[in-house]
Amino acid sequence: MTERTFPVDDVGLVPFGMGLERGLDERSLCTRGIELETLAGLGLPVGAGLTVPVPNVPGFTSPDRAKAAIRLLESMSGRTVGTMTEAGGVVLLRLSASAPVEAAGLPADLVCVGLRGAQIPEGVPGRMAADIAQAFWATASTIAEHSLDVPGDDVATLELDFANPADRIAPLVAMCDQKGTGPFPLKASQQVAAGAAAMLARWNSPRAARARRKQNLAPDLPIALHLETVVVTDHDDEGHGHAYSRDLETGQFAPNGAFRHGVRQSGERHAIGHPLSKLPEGVEMLTGVLAELEGRLRTPVIVDFEYGPHGLALVGLEQMRRASARVSTALSVDLVTRGISDEIHAVAATRPEDILEMLHPQPKLTGTEVTLVTGLGVSPGAAVGAVALTSEEAVSLAENGDSVILVMSETTPGDLPGMMAARGILTVNGGSASHAAVVARGMGRPAICGASGLRMVDGALVCGDVTVPAGETISIDGSSGVAYVGAVRIEAPKPSPSLTTLLGWADDVRRLGVRANADNGPDADVAMNNGAEGIGLCRTEHQFLGDRLPLVRRVILSHDADAEESALAALADAQREDFRELLLAVGDKPVTVRLLDAPMHEFLPSSADGAENEHQARMLDQLHEENPMLGVRGVRLALMHEGLYPAQVHGLFNAWVDVVTQEGIHPELEVMIPLVSIPDELVMTLRLIRRVNQEVATKTGVQIPFKIGTMIETPRAALLADKLAQWAEFLSFGTNDLTQLTYGFSRDDVERRMLGTYLEKGLLTASPFAELDESGVAALMAIAADRAREVRPDIKIGICGEHGGDPSSIAICETLGLDYVSCSPSRIPVARLAAAHSAMAAARA
Amino acid sequence: MDGTSDRLRKGKNMADLTDAQRDVLVALVVRGMARGEASADHQVLAEQGLVLIKGPIIMPTPDGTALAGEQLRMAHDAAERERLMATFHRFLPVNRQLRDLCTAWQVRPDGTPNDHSDDSYDADVRDRLDDIDDAVGPLIKRFGEDLPRLGVYRPRLTTALEKLDEGDNAWFASPLIDSYHTVWMHLHQELLLTIGMTRKEDEELEERLVAGEGA
Repeated sequence: MTERTFPVDDVGLVPFGMGLERGLDERSLCTRGIELETLAGLGLPVGAGLTVPVPNVPGFTSPDRAKAAIRLLESMSGRTVGTMTEAGGVVLLRLSASAPVEAAGLPADLVCVGLRGAQIPEGVPGRMAADIAQAFWATASTIAEHSLDVPGDDVATLELDFANPADRIAPLVAMCDQKGTGPFPLKASQQVAAGAAAMLARWNSPRAARARRKQNLAPDLPIALHLETVVVTDHDDEGHGHAYSRDLETGQFAPNGAFRHGVRQSGERHAIGHPLSKLPEGVEMLTGVLAELEGRLRTPVIVDFEYGPHGLALVGLEQMRRASARVSTALSVDLVTRGISDEIHAVAATRPEDILEMLHPQPKLTGTEVTLVTGLGVSPGAAVGAVALTSEEAVSLAENGDSVILVMSETTPGDLPGMMAARGILTVNGGSASHAAVVARGMGRPAICGASGLRMVDGALVCGDVTVPAGETISIDGSSGVAYVGAVRIEAPKPSPSLTTLLGWADDVRRLGVRANADNGPDADVAMNNGAEGIGLCRTEHQFLGDRLPLVRRVILSHDADAEESALAALADAQREDFRELLLAVGDKPVTVRLLDAPMHEFLPSSADGAENEHQARMLDQLHEENPMLGVRGVRLALMHEGLYPAQVHGLFNAWVDVVTQEGIHPELEVMIPLVSIPDELVMTLRLIRRVNQEVATKTGVQIPFKIGTMIETPRAALLADKLAQWAEFLSFGTNDLTQLTYGFSRDDVERRMLGTYLEKGLLTASPFAELDESGVAALMAIAADRAREVRPDIKIGICGEHGGDPSSIAICETLGLDYVSCSPSRIPVARLAAAHSAMAAARA
Repeated sequence: MDGTSDRLRKGKNMADLTDAQRDVLVALVVRGMARGEASADHQVLAEQGLVLIKGPIIMPTPDGTALAGEQLRMAHDAAERERLMATFHRFLPVNRQLRDLCTAWQVRPDGTPNDHSDDSYDADVRDRLDDIDDAVGPLIKRFGEDLPRLGVYRPRLTTALEKLDEGDNAWFASPLIDSYHTVWMHLHQELLLTIGMTRKEDEELEERLVAGEGA
């Protein structure tokens, strides 16, 4: 016998908290039964209630069984259903359903059962009577429709004809007599039995069958029923609400939620209500409950509660199994801090892909921005553009190629053209469910709504003393809801404190180094802030664009050695500044500079019209390439124009001397040659570079240590890695090109026209440009790595294609035994975590 | 026709428009825009300055919008107006529920975008759409009793639901097709044009009704 001595009858009714000890589990108690077992098992206060286990549900549509359940509840709570308590409350029942697994599409709770004679007791004050009438109408109309088969349209008509729920009940009872399969149940036990029948009918309806199908649940998934005592008291003395253990925005443990006065009108949670801090009971007990539950369940939780003159009772528990990365990361770290979990588990519990959502680009604020207005961030992302005040204006500005932010009081379907044309949307009115918000999210546009401080005056935006005329630039942050005057730089945010802690633990676990692909100082800064251990790829292509383009053209198209030389000297000086900025950001860490690798056509005018003179025009004709990606690029271009790479390294070595002598830092220089497929290409280039190295050292009196390496981008280079390794001190796989050349895919063409079909037909399971091809490309990489190490065992090998930031590709790099991966600065945190996961998987294997 | 036509002639030359062209204009204003090749009727409307054709996009001009509004607007003393307004008051709280549900379809409660990888979450939102659809059915029926042209929204909503249940999630709330939300917004827009209520007045009224304050 248990300590609690409630009568246990042969009907098989299980009081909350007594199921597990009777050997029952989720198969018969179902999710809600288990939730209440959990709460009661922790000694937390739960309301008086019982579960009708799965096998006993069909029989529960009999009033006799229902009567037994009511008696049991009455003995548990000491209160008689349908009567009034001494304090003036009315004792009623609530019936709910749950399934053995989490399931959507369950019948809605019947929140007010047991109203004798379907009449509100005499003497119940007005507000309370209205509460009961509203709750009872929802229950009674469900019973009428699903248990007594009264046509739903007829029931709905009553709702339209009588605004006041209390006025609908008598006509509904009459309607059941006329159109139903039987009279409306007037006794409490009859109502419970009819309610159970309605819930079963609803669970067997096509609608519920569709919901089960959509969730891949068994078509005959059963339900358990749960019957609870509800004491309805004065509207202001009681209430119901829910509490989240964590702030969903920051992820931190911070109990929050909402509550409402009066009786619970449905099983759904209402986001809108009074904040928990206003709870008459105070929030201390809930805080303790939530902390206890998180520690026990190791998930963020939501509890549903009710309070009244009798105190606070928990009536529901939800484990947030799909919490956002921000929330789950913070929880993982907290559990380690509390000594409940350890670092390894915390790292393992966080999926690398998930943390990307914490690193969405957002405005990079310097503190000097002028805030235009603050509203509600309703569609995430950031956008910069010219203000358009009408849909038409937005359309015509966008037609001119301008980036546009559409700003309006509110939007209607008529503004759709402007919303489509705009990069972002800002409205004065409306909230997160407004037309503007729903449409903006549907189109993936960042949006702010409810910026109520904003006015439109004479074709300008006015907020306080700030005025922005239409056509001027503003920036909006659809996450924070802040709009700024002018253009704000947009980039990925720094990792949160919890994520920083977690990534630190990941660093202790991983073997692979993590570097960044960064071409300039600002990118390198972001990379270092995100924990990069160096730069794995600095592309120098952009250094040749913009106002330096004429210089490059002169080098390529020149017929005059003097002109070429002076152009090269100017290029070297310009690059010295670029490299200086980069090296300063890198500090003492390694930095791999890849010498020029752009296809020639990117530097040349698209037609002879762009030539400076006749000679250039003739050269342009000669230089036209059918397939530039496979043409004269990379080391090939450098060997055709032998001054190019020396000019680049001249700038690089001098920049190094600058930062060493002036700033006292020592970046580890690595010079990388692109698109090598013949080992002698590397040898010849190396000779050119060494010569410049000597020249600069002689001139400055500073020795400049550097390593030389090559990209492995062609299958031939992979197969000849042993020959390359005789000269190269490091290798870096350029897996974008290597994938193109291994498959013989022209990336742009196949991505545009073929990849979708191939994925559909199952010929590919993922784009080989997104996830490294394990059986083909990675096999070549394995050959290259093995052969290179035979010649030079300590050779450093990395990867610098886009794959370097993809978790599944990183796992392959781990098994290949590479030394490091290099990826875009914003993906560094993902790569650090993925590398830790890969190391843990390798240790298990 | 009644006095409306006289007023229209004063504003813009409506005398030349056929009934079909007027219907095309009204449909365009209710929908906000059309995409694709402009029809002959669109061309006529464009010549009259009522419609703007920009590439593949056809949209009404402010004149066109005003004209369609006058075409639809119900007279203040019309017998059906009171009933229509009473039903409209019941419509607005359901309208709020629909917008909230579309939000839930697009954004999970923690503010992250719904990537539709959680079957249980999607099934729940889809299931709740049935509650809304059940609620709006009798309302459209009642609207249709007074203004038969509004009855067409029932089958259009049903079509969107069917497409959604065939597995294409876009039919819930995508603004680019006649999704459930799009059709609903057309209904709402046509109601506003009929009543002659601005969006702002409408939002304020909805707010009051949702807060249970009555109109």
